[in-house]
Amino acid sequence: MRKSDILIIGNGISGLFAACIAADMGKKVQILSYGAGTLTIGGGIIDVLGYTDDGKPIENPVLGADKMASGHPYSKVGAQTVDKALRAFLKIAESEGFPYIGSPDKNQWVPTAIGNFKPSCLVPRTMNSQAIFDAENILVVGFDTMKDFYANMVTKNLRKHLKSDKNIEEFVVQLNFEYGRDLRDISAMDVARWLETKEGYNAFVNQVKAHIKNSTAIVLPPVLGLDPNYQILDSLEKDLGCKLVEVSSLPPAVTGTRLDKMLNSYAKKHGVQIIEKARVVGSEVADGKCQAVITEGFDRQRKFYADQFILATGGVYGGGLIAGIGSMVEPVFNINIDVPKVQTEWSYKHLFADKKQIFAQYGVNVDNDLTPVAADGSKIASNVKVVGRSLAGYDFCYEKSGNGVALITAYKAAAAFCGEA
Amino acid sequence: MAINKQHAIDPDKCTACTICITACPVTAATRKFRGPKMTGPALTRLRKLVSDDDPMLDYCSNCKTCDLVCPSGVPISTLNMMAKNEYYKTHPRKSRADDMLAHSEKMGKLITALPMGSTFAGMGMAIGKAFNMMNAMGITQNAKMPTYASESFISKFKKIKQTSYPRKVVFFSGCYINYNQPEVGVDLVKVYQKNEVEVAVDEKFVCCGSPMVSGGYIDDARINAAKNVKLLKGWVDKGYDIVTACTSCGLMLKQEYQELFDFAGMADYAEHMYDSIEYLAKLNDEGKFNTDFVENSTKYIYHAPCHLKVQAIGRPSMELLPLIPGMQIEEADAGCCGISGSYGFKADKNEIAMKVGSKLFARIKNSHADLGVSECGTCRLQMENGSGVHAIHPLTVFKKAYGL
Amino acid sequence: MLKTTVVVIGGGATGVGILRDLSMRGVDTILVERDDLGYWTSSRFHGLLHSGGRYAVKDKEAAKECIEENTILRRIGRHCVEATESIFVRAPEDSEEYEHEWVKSCAECGISAIPISMDEAFKLEPNLSRKLLSAYRCPGAAIDGFRLLWQTVASANKYGGKAMTYMEVTGIETENGEVVGVRIRDRWTGREDKIACDFVISAAGSFSGEVAKLAGLTVNVKPSKGTLIAFNHRICNRVIHRLHKSSDADIFVPHGSITILGTTSIDSAPDDTSTETAEVVEMMKVGEVTFENIYDYRILRVFAGTRPLYSADPNAKGRSASRGFVALDHAHEGVKHFFSVCGGKFTTYRLMAEKVCNMVCEQLGVNEKCHTAEENLVDDPSPELINRAKAVFPSYGAELASSRLGNDKLERVIERIEKQPEMKELVCECENVTRAEIEEIAGEPTSHTVSDVRRRTRLGMGTCQGTFCAYRSVGAIDKEDVPWSKDTVNLCKDFLETRWKGIRPVLWGNMLRDIELTRAIYDAALNLSGVEDIK
Ligand SMILES: Cc1cc2nc3c(=O)[nH]c(=O)nc-3n(C[C@H](O)[C@H](O)[C@H](O)COP(=O)(O)OP(=O)(O)OC[C@H]3O[C@@H](n4cnc5c(N)ncnc54)[C@H](O)[C@@H]3O)c2cc1C
Ligand SMILES: Cc1cc2nc3c(=O)[nH]c(=O)nc-3n(C[C@H](O)[C@H](O)[C@H](O)COP(=O)(O)OP(=O)(O)OC[C@H]3O[C@@H](n4cnc5c(N)ncnc54)[C@H](O)[C@@H]3O)c2cc1C
Repeated sequence: MRKSDILIIGNGISGLFAACIAADMGKKVQILSYGAGTLTIGGGIIDVLGYTDDGKPIENPVLGADKMASGHPYSKVGAQTVDKALRAFLKIAESEGFPYIGSPDKNQWVPTAIGNFKPSCLVPRTMNSQAIFDAENILVVGFDTMKDFYANMVTKNLRKHLKSDKNIEEFVVQLNFEYGRDLRDISAMDVARWLETKEGYNAFVNQVKAHIKNSTAIVLPPVLGLDPNYQILDSLEKDLGCKLVEVSSLPPAVTGTRLDKMLNSYAKKHGVQIIEKARVVGSEVADGKCQAVITEGFDRQRKFYADQFILATGGVYGGGLIAGIGSMVEPVFNINIDVPKVQTEWSYKHLFADKKQIFAQYGVNVDNDLTPVAADGSKIASNVKVVGRSLAGYDFCYEKSGNGVALITAYKAAAAFCGEA
Repeated sequence: MAINKQHAIDPDKCTACTICITACPVTAATRKFRGPKMTGPALTRLRKLVSDDDPMLDYCSNCKTCDLVCPSGVPISTLNMMAKNEYYKTHPRKSRADDMLAHSEKMGKLITALPMGSTFAGMGMAIGKAFNMMNAMGITQNAKMPTYASESFISKFKKIKQTSYPRKVVFFSGCYINYNQPEVGVDLVKVYQKNEVEVAVDEKFVCCGSPMVSGGYIDDARINAAKNVKLLKGWVDKGYDIVTACTSCGLMLKQEYQELFDFAGMADYAEHMYDSIEYLAKLNDEGKFNTDFVENSTKYIYHAPCHLKVQAIGRPSMELLPLIPGMQIEEADAGCCGISGSYGFKADKNEIAMKVGSKLFARIKNSHADLGVSECGTCRLQMENGSGVHAIHPLTVFKKAYGL
Repeated sequence: MLKTTVVVIGGGATGVGILRDLSMRGVDTILVERDDLGYWTSSRFHGLLHSGGRYAVKDKEAAKECIEENTILRRIGRHCVEATESIFVRAPEDSEEYEHEWVKSCAECGISAIPISMDEAFKLEPNLSRKLLSAYRCPGAAIDGFRLLWQTVASANKYGGKAMTYMEVTGIETENGEVVGVRIRDRWTGREDKIACDFVISAAGSFSGEVAKLAGLTVNVKPSKGTLIAFNHRICNRVIHRLHKSSDADIFVPHGSITILGTTSIDSAPDDTSTETAEVVEMMKVGEVTFENIYDYRILRVFAGTRPLYSADPNAKGRSASRGFVALDHAHEGVKHFFSVCGGKFTTYRLMAEKVCNMVCEQLGVNEKCHTAEENLVDDPSPELINRAKAVFPSYGAELASSRLGNDKLERVIERIEKQPEMKELVCECENVTRAEIEEIAGEPTSHTVSDVRRRTRLGMGTCQGTFCAYRSVGAIDKEDVPWSKDTVNLCKDFLETRWKGIRPVLWGNMLRDIELTRAIYDAALNLSGVEDIK
């Protein structure tokens, strides 16, 4: 039968994580997804809360979350859930052989592809930036023909941010890839694949080795393999005798791809069924409960039944919210989002507004149990919870809270559906 | 319900996010391909403006993994195929293999009609190999080619005695089953009969056109589509459901026709189309699936064809096969096999195809399974080519499980 | 202090036209432009090389000028003109009577208007609304503003003409009621200087009033703002006009990879390039009559420019003011050797220049006639050069680059890639702009911002509107020989802000999705705006 205990719409980080948690607790979970979610273009790092509303850096995300204004997802789920959810994530990562470092109560500064730093909370070991602060020498390693990483720019900008007694140099590895009109540009993913080969690995070590001094940390684009494990990192650290730190970078996302694989692997091992390319276009709600959601493709509509539903559709970007001229709607439960009629009131004059962008905070309103609430205050369906980017009340870009809100609300929803308070 | 055609081929929804690039198996295997985003939506804009020599266009295998992961619903692969079709109107083909592989039905008809019978036909394309013809035509010498059966499915079907049931389907066998593996078609009839379903076939059906579309012969595919659409609509009007046992045929008939062509009735019959195992799953949902199985202790590994994945029907085989007592089956979940219909048979693509499939091959070998299972004929061939493990259609597993 | 015979103020179409004309007649001329060439109206316009059809009924004079200039520009400017032709279509709500009058008028003005069946029209332009009733083919075309300007200047350079950008004229100096020079200020260094000259021609477009003020005069320009919508695709392959009395939002112009719908007309300040959602909504409603699926087409951005409408009557406004142009000799108002040219159209830029240059030359005693209609702006690229380009550029790149760059630069870009094949890397994947091109253009002395590079290359003007190429371009140009490239973070931010300006009023559908992606990359992943507290 097509009936599951919990049906999740969306297989981004929030949908997958909710599935992992629920499946862990013995539920029969099915995911419907149209598209692959943002993970493979976003970063594989878990930002939880980097800045206060007025732009001050936050040291302890759990404490910071506790102080968020009432509309914010964190204020709905509570600081305790923040902590629990992140620990659950750390456990899953550990069990998949791809442990993350960091702790819910402490932010870390992670280097970026432009040579800046950004606050994040849980990161893979390939991005353990402590090494940058500990080492006396920083070697920024680029690749001669690789797109989307400029060692010279990163080096110069890092110098602006780090203490002046640090010695920061750049080094460009020659890939010696064939190059010509009939061959495409080289991305971080290509270089990651190259490092997975013996030949690439050795070439890298041979070229870089001579430039390693005592107390060196290497900063490089995300290229340390495409799979969720630390084999390449570990052997490089051994062979080069220094730490390596990947930067937070642009799409396509190598770090996000690893996390995507890890979550998928865990979910599938625990019996989660994923139906791809299934576009949910509506729902059947009766007696205040959702009975089924409806998918539509080129052939016919299909109904998928479940006891409980989690909407993890990724907001405007994921397709979970549709913005029109002076309107915004959540299409599965047909929830109207209250937005100004005039589009220019959706935003500030500057894109980088030095405060939360207005439109970024549009989303589905929920109560403290993450059950969606309509504009008139009525509950849409008591057995539905909304998680991740479709939620109202936060601007992940400004706050640095993207994957954090996704994981934490997903945990809350799944745990609640599994009977945990 | 059909998706409006205007939207179906709309590249405007692309936000250049690069998700498709992270997933495309060909992009991962070769830098000769620039990836789906560029080849499809990005260059569609520029092709309206300038024409140019575009050697990369040829490398899209139409596996549709890009469509699967696209969050914006851009029909990337179909845009690629449309571009290829246009391109080869003004540019020379790389080899004659394109033509031959795209029009495999012609080949099938030719060989099965040979008077010399099964011995010769059983060698299939190996005849050509022996005479070193293939190489000259641009077909790889490294892959095991589909062999041709001595008797077509249609001919075999006529000899099967069926019990009539109120539940009726028309089976679109497709070329591969008709000419290369008729026994899969026979298994379908047997399994469906066990489930009280009567199977009809239609000799007037022609090749669905999938290999033509992939080869950039959309205009030829249009001719075939015109014929098939009318017939399929006719069967549905008579109260039949349509089943396919080849995932590429299924996808072509219900989705790609709608993306590419404008014939009346496509959406109407598409509502009644099923993959052969999906149809059984539907019976299962209704409590009508015959689970009177004999024990089967074979160890299987299942590979989901790319063209099944994009049909938004999940994995019906993984739903039903485990119902067989004693069954040991796991899903490979190792991505595309690489063959993409006829792509991997081309001399200049074979290496790429094998590289794409290498994860799957390793996975199959490491699983120590006795048999591979997959709905797609050329996937099965590729699984064997790459791993040495023989692969069969899930229908064949069910036939055995019914003790037939 | 510099010295020349004539100073031209303003590097829009009109100004560069004058620079070329005078230079070709052997007159020493320097053009001074406050911003980048074409920064104002000559790029914030519709890009239509008028056939004259639009004016045939109401203003035969203007219509005739258009068709004549159209014919000339197709020839001399073929590397910036897309000779698409145009189709005039009548909708059910448009007057049939007008159609008859229009057909007659076109014939009178010498504008070819060939009636075609609607079946034929739909075959040519499949996206046209099936409700349309009649259609005519006319010789309209699309013209690229940036390119025409640069090519006109390149042509003037050959004759010794010079153009200075980011150089503002801050004063006009006179002695005894006669012009003797202009004061200028470098916008980047703040350095002030003077150019001694015998004549000044103001071609300051909507700013003509302000410039005249520098000499204590008034010029009655009534700037009138028009808004334009750029769509992500070529919706049509020909210019599509509504066949009715000219009105708002009734023309679609296919432009390279995109289509532009326009326009509107309201009185405004000369520098008002703001746009409003309400205007877009109104324009879409009108556009829907021509293309019924208009709401399915993705908008890239909206932008606006101001028409430098001139009126002798200070109360005439907007569309009712004459589209014709004036060349004013301010001697009548007491300043000798100071001229203003304003009004007109992009299409007639050459003619305007000719007229004013005739006046100036007469006073200068230069007898040389105008040759601007006889010589092509740039030479055709040789087949060898195109073949060299094709051998190194990525697919679809060679032709585009050739038309963007012109021969000399194209050759330099080719050399860069020949030397370093990886320079064919696409910095802008939407518009196919290579790293070699970005580095070449960024290194030119006329480039000071990423937007300058954009205007010369189309960097960031396609689907993603800078989302990917903002980072790539600042990374690529961060070089010793590019003095303005140092503050990469702010270059990135500034570039994205200029793109944002055009998206903000249309922040729905995919435009909003795209902005989510942009912010996710630059704020979430790269933290461009966050405070860093790491030391
Ligand atoms: C470029 C980029 C960089 C980022 N960097 C970081 C970072 O460094 N750190 C960080 O913490 N966060 C980052 N983020 C933010 C973070 O990735 C997102 O906030 C997070 O992924 C949201 O997860 P989600 O599960 O809510 O949505 P998504 O990942 O968008 O998933 C939504 C899913 O729902 C599916 N869906 C939508 N509608 C339907 C429907 N009708 N039917 C079926 N399925 C549907 C979609 O196809 C998709 O699979 C970044 C994001 C981007 C885009
Ligand atoms: C919305 C719109 C659509 C249009 N569509 C078309 C069309 O499709 N076809 C067509 O033929 N015409 C069209 N036009 C008209 C056409 O664009 C203009 O007539 C033409 O571009 C004007 O060029 P210009 O050189 O006179 O002015 P501008 O291009 O504005 O140039 C004037 C220059 O003077 C400079 N300047 C000002 N003050 C100073 C100073 N003190 N020192 C130095 N420099 C100074 C400015 O920076 C500016 O660059 C359109 C106009 C608008 C507004």
